[in-house]
Amino acid sequence: MISKEEIDGLAELARLTLAEEERANLQKDISNILEYVGQVSGVPAAEAGAVPQNHNVMRADAPRTEGDTLLGKEEALRAAFPKREGAYNVVRKIIQKDE
Amino acid sequence: MSNDLARLSIAEARKKLDAREITALDLARACKANIDARNKELNVYLEVFDDIEEQAKRADDRIAKGETTPLLGIPLAIKDNILIEGKRASAASKILENYVASYDAIAITKLKEMGAVFLGRTNMDEFAMGGSTENSAFGPTRNPADIARVAGGSSGGSAAAVAAGMALGALGSDTGGSIREPASFCGIVGMKPTYGAVSRSGLMALGSSLDQIGPFAKTPEDARVLYEAVLGRDALDSTSIDLSLYPAHAPKKRIGVPRQLLSQGVDADVLERFEAGLGKLREQGYEIVDIELPSAALALAVYYIIMPAEASANLARFDGIRYGLSEKGDNLWEDYAKTRGNGFGPEVRRRIMLGTYVLSAGYYDAYYGKATTARAQLAAEVARALEDVDAIATPTAPSPAPKVGEKSDPLAMYLMDIFTVTANLTGNPAISVPMGAVEREGKQLPVGIQLTAAHGDDLSLFNLGAILSR
Repeated sequence: MISKEEIDGLAELARLTLAEEERANLQKDISNILEYVGQVSGVPAAEAGAVPQNHNVMRADAPRTEGDTLLGKEEALRAAFPKREGAYNVVRKIIQKDE
Repeated sequence: MSNDLARLSIAEARKKLDAREITALDLARACKANIDARNKELNVYLEVFDDIEEQAKRADDRIAKGETTPLLGIPLAIKDNILIEGKRASAASKILENYVASYDAIAITKLKEMGAVFLGRTNMDEFAMGGSTENSAFGPTRNPADIARVAGGSSGGSAAAVAAGMALGALGSDTGGSIREPASFCGIVGMKPTYGAVSRSGLMALGSSLDQIGPFAKTPEDARVLYEAVLGRDALDSTSIDLSLYPAHAPKKRIGVPRQLLSQGVDADVLERFEAGLGKLREQGYEIVDIELPSAALALAVYYIIMPAEASANLARFDGIRYGLSEKGDNLWEDYAKTRGNGFGPEVRRRIMLGTYVLSAGYYDAYYGKATTARAQLAAEVARALEDVDAIATPTAPSPAPKVGEKSDPLAMYLMDIFTVTANLTGNPAISVPMGAVEREGKQLPVGIQLTAAHGDDLSLFNLGAILSR
C-alpha cells in the first residue's frame, strides 16, 4: 500500500491540492491500480541495443507566414488571459527574495 | 417537416439534398427538434450552437449553386475536446468551462470547407478520461436505449447524438476505445483510424502516442464518408502521416479470433452476438481462424501505465496562467495547485497522480519501461497475426452498457476497455459495428463487434463493416 506521505509527495509534484478525504481514497485507488498494472513486472527487460522505430519529425526552424492556425489570432489568445492589461498577460511576480 | 429526416443516413440525405427534395435547413431543424425533445433527459449536448440555421442556409446557398460535397449541409455533432473557432471547448471540465477556442482544429477546417453544419458540442468524460461519460463535470450522458444506463465513453455524447437522431454523424476521439465502446453501447458504428491518419491539431491531447480523431455514424458507409473527410497528413501535426507509406495489405479472406482472450469475463449473450457476426462473415466466404496474441492479456495493464503517464505530462499545461480557470493562492505554487485541484475532477486528478507515480525516478523502469517493452511485443504480435488474416475480431466490450453509477470502482471501469486498448497501443485501425442487442431487465441493449486491421488498411474495415451490417 502506497503511503499518505507518498500521496502528498505526488500531489506536490503534480501541483494539485487534495482534500483530506480524497488523499485517503487515492491511497486505496492508486494502490489497487498499481497492483493491477504491476503485471508488467514479468515482462523481460528490453534487449540491449533495441532501436526504437519512431523518430522525431522536425519542421524547418523558420517563422511561418501561412498555414499556421494561430496566425492573426493574437487578439483571441489575449482574450483568454485570466488577467489582462492592454496587450499583456498579468502574472504573479515569480522571483521572490528568500528570507 | 417531421423530425423523421434525422433518421436518414448521411448517404440518403446526400441524395435527397442533391435532388432538392429536402434542404439542409430541414435536416438541421429535424435534428434540432430531437435535441429539444430529448437533450434534457439524455444530456448529450453541452451546448447547442445558436447559429445552426445560418450554417444550414449557407449550405443551402451552395447547393442552390449546383455545388455538392459528401458533407455539404449534413448536420454533425462534435466532441467537446475538438476546437471550433469562436465556440467554447471545455473537454467537459470545470478548468475550461469558459474557454473559447481561438482556432479551428484541422478536422474542423476540413469539415467547414465541405459545408458540414455543426449542431453543438457533445458531452464526454472529462479530458476523455473514462468509459461512461460519468466523469463529465456536467453530469453523465444517458443511453438512448435505456436512460438508466450510460452511453459509454469517453465520446458518449457524440455516440448518443447519432443514436438518438440528434445528428446524422459525429466526431469523437479515441485513446483507449473512446469511440468504439460508446458506439457499441449505443448501437451505431464508430471507428478509430490508423495512428497518424487524421491530424490532431486542435484536439485536446490525452495520451499523445494513443489519441486519434474518428467518426460516428449509423452505417459503415457513412463512417467512411466522415473518415475520408478528415483524413490526411498535416504539417501542424508531426505525427500525422500519409497512409500510403504503409505496405498494402493483400486480402486473405480470413478473420482471426484471439479465443484465449474471450474465455472469461465476457457475458454469454454478448459472445452469442459475436458468433452471429462471425457467421455473417463466414457466409461471405471468410474463413474464421484462431490466432494467438500472448501479450494481449497484458494490454490493459500496459495501457493504464502509458496513458496516465502521457496524460500527466499533457495536462501540465493547465496551470491557470494563460487561459481557463485561474485561482489565486498565497504564492505561485498555490496558484497552480488550487487552480488544478479545483478545476480538475476526481478521475483526472487520479490519473495525473498515477502518471506522476509511474514516471517518478525509482519507479520508471518498473512501470513505464516495462510497459514500453510489452507494448512493442504486442505490436509485433498483432502485426504478425495480420500477415495471415485481414482483421482480428473480438466483441467491442465484454458486456452491454452498465447502469449509471454501477461501476463506482475505478479499476472495474477500466476493465471495460479490455478489448479496445490494444489497437491504440499498436496504432492499428479498428471499428465497432452493431451486432444486435442483448436483454437486461426487459430492455434491449445494443452490443458491437470490433474488427482491427493492418496499419493503413482502414478502408477494409468499412467494407467488412458493411458485410456485418447486412
